[in-house]
Amino acid sequence: MTDKVKREQIYENLLEILSEDLSVSTSDITPDFKLRDGLQFDSLELYSFVIDVEERYDIKISDELIDKVDTMNDLVNIVDELINK
Amino acid sequence: MNDREQQMAQGLVSIFEKVLVAEEKSLQKAYFSKLSLAEMHTLDAIGPYDARTMTETAQILGITVGTLTVAIDRLVKKGFVDRKRDEADKRVVRISLTREGKIAARMHGKFHKVLARHILEPYDDNEQELLLKLVNDVDGYLSTQVARYDREDQLRKTAKEVANDTRRRKTDD
Repeated sequence: MTDKVKREQIYENLLEILSEDLSVSTSDITPDFKLRDGLQFDSLELYSFVIDVEERYDIKISDELIDKVDTMNDLVNIVDELINK
Repeated sequence: MNDREQQMAQGLVSIFEKVLVAEEKSLQKAYFSKLSLAEMHTLDAIGPYDARTMTETAQILGITVGTLTVAIDRLVKKGFVDRKRDEADKRVVRISLTREGKIAARMHGKFHKVLARHILEPYDDNEQELLLKLVNDVDGYLSTQVARYDREDQLRKTAKEVANDTRRRKTDD
């Protein structure tokens, strides 16, 4: 199981994408942080983020899954599920 | 034309026009004003993930590779599409969406889904099933008409058939 990407690593990578690709300040972000409300992401910004995550992990995150994303933790769960299944 | 036929004809034309107008306006509001609706549908046909060949994409859109080449030239210049020769077979050109292209295609897909959701929302399960069946029936009928008109050499004959069918139906009524 050591080759599986750990959830903590995924979380760190997501913060990195937010900070580097989308120029978001990540100092206040916690796992419970609400992406839409907290970052005030509109659909365009949310898709930009999701597409960067998809490219980083070579995965496909469907719109149905995106609709379920509320917090950072939700996104970590989805990525974890997709890459470690 | 009786009242119902009149209402149906007006309804169909109105839906067609309003969907087009709504799509155009959504593009302009969604930060993709430099994309035309036809260009957006070309991005849709390429798809957000794997690269496609020019031939595959032209088939999906129902246009010639020559016409698609002109459209792709523009989309490459605008930064929405990448074009590369296939590594294994240099004769094959593969096209894929850039990050900007992916965002545009997914936003547009979202527009379609939200539109469908809002149209279905007021109805219960049975009504939604019935509505979907009716829409499918209308779509199926229109597809057969398009297929008939696609055969250009039979266009004149087809027009005559449609006229005869209509005349026959009126006599049957």
